[in-house]
Amino acid sequence: MSKRSILLGNEAIARGIVEAGCEIATAYPGTPSSEILPAVAAYSDQLGTKTAVEWGANEKVAYEMAVSASFGGKRTCCIMKQVGLNVAADPFMSTAHFDLKGGFLLVVSDDPGPHSSQTEQDSRYFAMFAKVPCFDPSTAEEAKEMVFDAYDLSEKHGIVTMLRPTGKVDHARQDVPLRDEVLPPRKDEFKKDPKRWVCLPAGVKVNHPRLNDKNDAIRNEFEEDYGKYNYVVPAKGTVRLGIIAGGTTFAFLSDMIRTSGRDDIEILKIGTPVPLPVKLCDEFIARHEKVLVLEQTYPVIETQLNDRTKIMGRWNGFVPRAGELLPELIEGIIAECLGDKVETSIDEDVRSAMEEMHVTPRPPMLCPGCPHRASFFAIRKALPKAINPSDIGCYTLGIMQKGVDSAIDMGAAVTAASGFYLASKVDGEERPVVATIGDSTFFHSGLTGLASAVYNRHAFVLAILDNRITAMTGGQSSPNVGTKLRKGDQGVQIDLEQVCRGCGVSYIKTVEAYDVNENVDVVKDAWAYAWENKEPAVLIFKHPCITILKEPPTPRPVRVDPEVCIGCKYCITSFNCPGLVFDESSKKAYIDERYCVNCGVCMSVCPHGAIVSREEA
Amino acid sequence: MQFVIVGTGGQGILFASKSLGHIAMEKGRSVVGSEVHGMAQRGGSVVSHFKVGEYLSPLVKVGEADVLLAFDQNEAVRNLHYLRDGGKLVVNLYDPEAFENDRLQSSLDRRKIEVHPVEGYSILKEHMGGRFLFLNVLILGAMCGAGVGGVSMDEMSQAIRDLAPARFVDENLKVLKLGYEAAR
Repeated sequence: MSKRSILLGNEAIARGIVEAGCEIATAYPGTPSSEILPAVAAYSDQLGTKTAVEWGANEKVAYEMAVSASFGGKRTCCIMKQVGLNVAADPFMSTAHFDLKGGFLLVVSDDPGPHSSQTEQDSRYFAMFAKVPCFDPSTAEEAKEMVFDAYDLSEKHGIVTMLRPTGKVDHARQDVPLRDEVLPPRKDEFKKDPKRWVCLPAGVKVNHPRLNDKNDAIRNEFEEDYGKYNYVVPAKGTVRLGIIAGGTTFAFLSDMIRTSGRDDIEILKIGTPVPLPVKLCDEFIARHEKVLVLEQTYPVIETQLNDRTKIMGRWNGFVPRAGELLPELIEGIIAECLGDKVETSIDEDVRSAMEEMHVTPRPPMLCPGCPHRASFFAIRKALPKAINPSDIGCYTLGIMQKGVDSAIDMGAAVTAASGFYLASKVDGEERPVVATIGDSTFFHSGLTGLASAVYNRHAFVLAILDNRITAMTGGQSSPNVGTKLRKGDQGVQIDLEQVCRGCGVSYIKTVEAYDVNENVDVVKDAWAYAWENKEPAVLIFKHPCITILKEPPTPRPVRVDPEVCIGCKYCITSFNCPGLVFDESSKKAYIDERYCVNCGVCMSVCPHGAIVSREEA
Repeated sequence: MQFVIVGTGGQGILFASKSLGHIAMEKGRSVVGSEVHGMAQRGGSVVSHFKVGEYLSPLVKVGEADVLLAFDQNEAVRNLHYLRDGGKLVVNLYDPEAFENDRLQSSLDRRKIEVHPVEGYSILKEHMGGRFLFLNVLILGAMCGAGVGGVSMDEMSQAIRDLAPARFVDENLKVLKLGYEAAR
């Protein structure tokens, strides 16, 4: 193990997966986990393994494929983000009860913060819920190392093991060691054994007690044999505080002790929070007058402690119960625990300078030239009084155009449309509903909702925003694109129109998303049909994501004619493009060339015709 | 050495930390940093942290950065708190007048922050036909020209040769030099 290379945390995990001899890897993309599976494919090719890599249509699908592939003895893994585990919760809970044969690793990336998720949930709780062991890495290097131990543990006890990195591990960039050799493949020897592989109520009598026994055994191993993940870092000076830390909070504490020379803190580092090595914690707590528990995101370690009387943590308000534990925040918490004075350094000068300089927040928004922006504009303009349920993906950012009224989880655009329809149906009133969903999300979990809506005769327009890519997570393929993860692998492209027709939808139209003016009428017609016939109508707004274009389209440069612009800000509020800016001094809109990609769509937006082609000037 | 790199999505910020990592690695140093992913953010604020040395955490603590590389002047102001007193700021200006704000200057002076401005967009307009995608390399050149970050122009040129797509290497090296000259 001599070579080192700078890898993204996700690449380090992927490298570990391949080196550990995993032969089947599946995933559904989701930030911060998305880069793992493509990297598994790349390292598999590089190291000459035959590892199968597949995107499942959703996390449940991916999980069931991978775990079943392990039943015959192969090492397999499934990768997702924390909200993805909600989707895969059903097979996760079931297979936790199984006596597995091959090593099965579940990688779930959590997103404290959260930076791009609907929730801030902590997957370690899911591990506790399912009674499966969980590894909680502090760094990218440790995450890679944990993959090997997770597989060994899984094979030894016949249990699902979870590796739970958080975003700051996934998206850390760090130099990590590489092994050249890959562990040898295992032969698939599936033996029919219904008692083992069929999930029936009768089996629970055996399965659950056995799972409890496994947990006791694993807890003992975590106490004794996993010293490289669970250990005490002694203080150099007189100890004033003991801290139990896991995940990235441990990495931060280490840096703080090194850079600030802080020598009064003793740390118990916990890398395996479930099942918690309780003896280790008890001993540590006994040695200290007070103990702070720092972990992301929920009190998983804290909750499992036998005696919390000395503990400072989330229960008694020392640690915030939501949000990411950033270094500066942790520093403040420690000071508070020790009763030290904290200097707050709010620079009033900078704060007023920001006001004077109009430094306003720059929240995420759809890219300049994004086809979704044009689709939202047409939908809103066609039926301004409509309710617009939406979904999880780039297009959730349509909220900036007032085009998103609800977004629950993947696929809920369709089912929420049904819900809104039912609410107005009870009142007997016509209230248009136009839902938006992405192509990948539609396959993930929109399909079942659509079948249900057709069957139940729900009137709404479903706009599938088909940009030929899973864009928000970095450009993965999906069933309607048909290309597969590995270069050269060709899948079958599933046609969206045919799928909808197969679900029983009779009104389906595919339109060019950039054709804003035409699409206003298209949306009106679709709603009229849906309402009249009491059934869903589907519109497919098609235009490729601008991030995947190999050749830029013919530029259509525009300018704002200051003579015509009346400063109404309609273009800003309804179109919301980074390339369109309002100048506070002249009270006119103008084109910010730094962001404009010359797509020309905004020419159709200004009701006064002030946005014109630059050639017309 | 601790860097914070800020700007808006689509400006090529990740390439900057990649180059810094490449150079450090060539010198046999350990590196750790954090990237920003997820949510479509072309135009949204982006912050990337990067540390060279024996660190474990990918995050730079507020008040500890040695260098702040700002691809956007507003993002520079928004993230000034990351710099330590006496830290160094390399910033792309598009409205130097706005940046001359009295209160801002008084804070910079009080904290002894060294400012190295470069008017990136006008340079790229003049010399590169307005191809703003070269901004990241321009800033890296300016960093070398300003003599901050402990990276020499030779090391940076080599990193660009190693990392930039082959057909853009020459143009990137040209831009690197433009940035270097502008900040000297």
